[in-house]
Amino acid sequence: MSRNLNKLLNYSLLKISLIPIMLWIISSLVFILLRVAPGDPVDAILGSGADEVSREFLRNKLGLNEPLINQYFSYIKNILHLDFGQSLSTQEPVLNIIIKSLPASLELGFFSILSATLIGFPLGLIGLRNRGKKTDYIARILGIATYAIPPFWGAMLAQLLFSVFFNISPIGGRFPIFQQQPQITGFLVLDSILSNNIIALKDSLYHLALPSITLGFLLSGIFSRSLRVNLDKTLKSDYVNAAICRGISRKKIFLNHALPNALLPIVTISGLTMASLAGGALLFEVTFSWPGIALRLHEAISQRDYTLVQGIVIFTSMLIVSLNLFVDILIAYLDPRIEY
Amino acid sequence: MKKKIVLSIFIILISFLQNSCGSKRISKKIIVASSGKIESLDPARANTLKAIQLISSLGDTLYELNSNGELIPELASGMPIISKDRLQIIINLRKNVFFHDGTAFNSNAIKFTFDRFKRIGTMNYILGNKIKSIETPSEYSVIINLNKPSSSLNGLLTSVNLTPISPTFYKQYSDKFLNEKFVGTGKYVLTSFSNEVQSIDPYLNYWGEKPLNNGINFVGYSNSSSLFGALKSKQIDVLLSNSIDDSQRKSLNDLSKNKQFNEGNSPFTELSFISLKTSSYPLSNLNLRLALAKSLNRKLISEKVSYGLRKPSRSIIPPILKKDNQELWPKYDYLEARRLLQKENYCNGNILKIPLTYRSNVPADKLIALTWQEEIKSSLKDCIDIELDGVESTTVYKNLSLGIYTAVLLDWTGAYSDPEAYLTPLLSCNEIVDGICKKGESVYSGSFWGSNKVESLFLESEKISGIKRLEKLVEIEKIAASSIPYIPIWISSQKAWSQNKISKPIFNGAGIISLSDLELINE
Repeated sequence: MSRNLNKLLNYSLLKISLIPIMLWIISSLVFILLRVAPGDPVDAILGSGADEVSREFLRNKLGLNEPLINQYFSYIKNILHLDFGQSLSTQEPVLNIIIKSLPASLELGFFSILSATLIGFPLGLIGLRNRGKKTDYIARILGIATYAIPPFWGAMLAQLLFSVFFNISPIGGRFPIFQQQPQITGFLVLDSILSNNIIALKDSLYHLALPSITLGFLLSGIFSRSLRVNLDKTLKSDYVNAAICRGISRKKIFLNHALPNALLPIVTISGLTMASLAGGALLFEVTFSWPGIALRLHEAISQRDYTLVQGIVIFTSMLIVSLNLFVDILIAYLDPRIEY
Repeated sequence: MKKKIVLSIFIILISFLQNSCGSKRISKKIIVASSGKIESLDPARANTLKAIQLISSLGDTLYELNSNGELIPELASGMPIISKDRLQIIINLRKNVFFHDGTAFNSNAIKFTFDRFKRIGTMNYILGNKIKSIETPSEYSVIINLNKPSSSLNGLLTSVNLTPISPTFYKQYSDKFLNEKFVGTGKYVLTSFSNEVQSIDPYLNYWGEKPLNNGINFVGYSNSSSLFGALKSKQIDVLLSNSIDDSQRKSLNDLSKNKQFNEGNSPFTELSFISLKTSSYPLSNLNLRLALAKSLNRKLISEKVSYGLRKPSRSIIPPILKKDNQELWPKYDYLEARRLLQKENYCNGNILKIPLTYRSNVPADKLIALTWQEEIKSSLKDCIDIELDGVESTTVYKNLSLGIYTAVLLDWTGAYSDPEAYLTPLLSCNEIVDGICKKGESVYSGSFWGSNKVESLFLESEKISGIKRLEKLVEIEKIAASSIPYIPIWISSQKAWSQNKISKPIFNGAGIISLSDLELINE
């Protein structure tokens, strides 16, 4: 056991040691791509009416006239100190902007994964249980359809249907305009619970429902399909047949042997999905005016706010790399077949 | 039977959800929505229409422009007194006006605000080197000393960026921005601020007429569909039209005609035009520029792209700023365009290729370009070939002065209500060599056009005022219209729609909606 733990520790350390290299590559790429991309933050800030003197003044003030190599080294140095600089357009520290908008994206991501699981797992199980029947086909078609629907279209359709046509959901935002939102951690659902505010909890869930259920629905296909395929494969395996022969009840076989094994690939999928959602679901946040990190990134790109784009990309890269690492280690720990 | 039961359950569920979800709207504040968010409420930094709209409700300027473009004193107690040499402006200030922090408004506040804007204002280029100094001879009188006579005083005196702020409150921020607070003298006080939602309440000690409502909640949505849907589903009370799609404008326009909403319009102030690079072949040739101008069917473009909601324009000055409303630019006449092109040896197997750049992130631009391209294909196929190229707007602005674009679609809204705010940025030039502008505003507008005559008329116009000045400015436009460095397409207005329970939105001459006049008329 201790040998295994040592192996796992070595494996984890190897993975962790790769993180700084990955982040250096990502941050350098972001720096180069932003400078190569056409457009100028000065124009985005001043508009097209400013004269050259004002433009030059602002360029100097923002350090954009410095040689690229100097800009790069000071950028890398600052990142090493976890200093992402100040937003070019708002002069606010980038880290503050990230800290303010990240909870919104994480909250949406968490509830979307939850919805995807709650929709996807039953669909997969129903399909498998009714193999070859009408319900199975419906579950399969639904699963495939959710892959095929472009997220922006799904979001707009849901908004049109539930917010405009039925008027049962807010059109956008995270909290009612006319209410004061609780401010503790930035996670509104959690903050409402911590502040014992039932109305705020109801309001935040009400605003969260449509975007998270819609996103969850669109992600549910992956969950239902992989659960169905993996469970099917597991239920046909020798050790399940052996268990049946030994007279173990079907329920026990399913819960104790088949399901845990079938869930292993789903842990990987969930981890990767959560990692990608940590960076925000861009089109969802834009459609639902959800003030998360992806919406910020979208605005920063259009404003050519170099420092903010760099900061958000690097921060979310860190988050994604860390989540991936966590999933890798978890899978390595859970699945004894994996060599490390 | 089973289906009926399912349907009934669905209807009951929807009705239940409609009535039970979320907290009920108990606030009597009016919800005003527009696109985007507000990054800063500092008047020295604000540059978006939305921020300017909010600041104009939280603060007062020295003067305001009415819908006829005339100066109306606000914090000034009367009209400005201008010295004979036009280098000094004396403004007497209103007494018994208090900032939201309780301190008194006086001439020091004006000096503090102007100096601060000059020092740190992001858009301080609108002041240029116009103001030499500000004197405060008494508590309620200021003297603005100018470096040279300026004809754009109305713009300075009504600029929202120069909204007086409390020197006491902003003491710590005299050299830096204060983004999330605002302390002015306006009809409303700021009660809460976030980038997405802002809330304002009536200011009880306001010196003038009190607002007709109990306050405003300002909300920003990130896309046009959300704004449109929010108004239709009655989740918001008033919608400001900046950056809403033309098809949605049309739909709201139709609904307003059917009395489902109230529609308010600002004066037409946003000019869309094509900038032609006059410094190199082919568009250095006047006949070719004229032929292009005559090939543009503005009426068709307006109908196809904006459903007729944007006004075709053959002038670069908005109608509100011209007394005679004369349209000086060439009319659509494709036969004449063909004749001109033939004169320059085009059409007979020789096709004039014009690359037209449009801003890919401005939906109307692409549609204008496509419509013009198709129109030319149908009437001048053998003479002109328009090649389209979509480029993101910030890239376009950066490259304009480099002379990359032969023809490019742009728009312009004057920083203040004066013909000069349209003519100077498009036509003025500091250094002209052989009719080509080497340095100056027309370089930054991509035309590189320069005229010594125009420059001398600009100088002359700064020394005079009234009708005579206007005549000089019209003369400048006439010269430009005969040289065609630009082709005006249309002129647009801001629009706002309100629910029927709210009064119709009213705009002032600067395109700002008067939030204090919004009133709940049917609760």
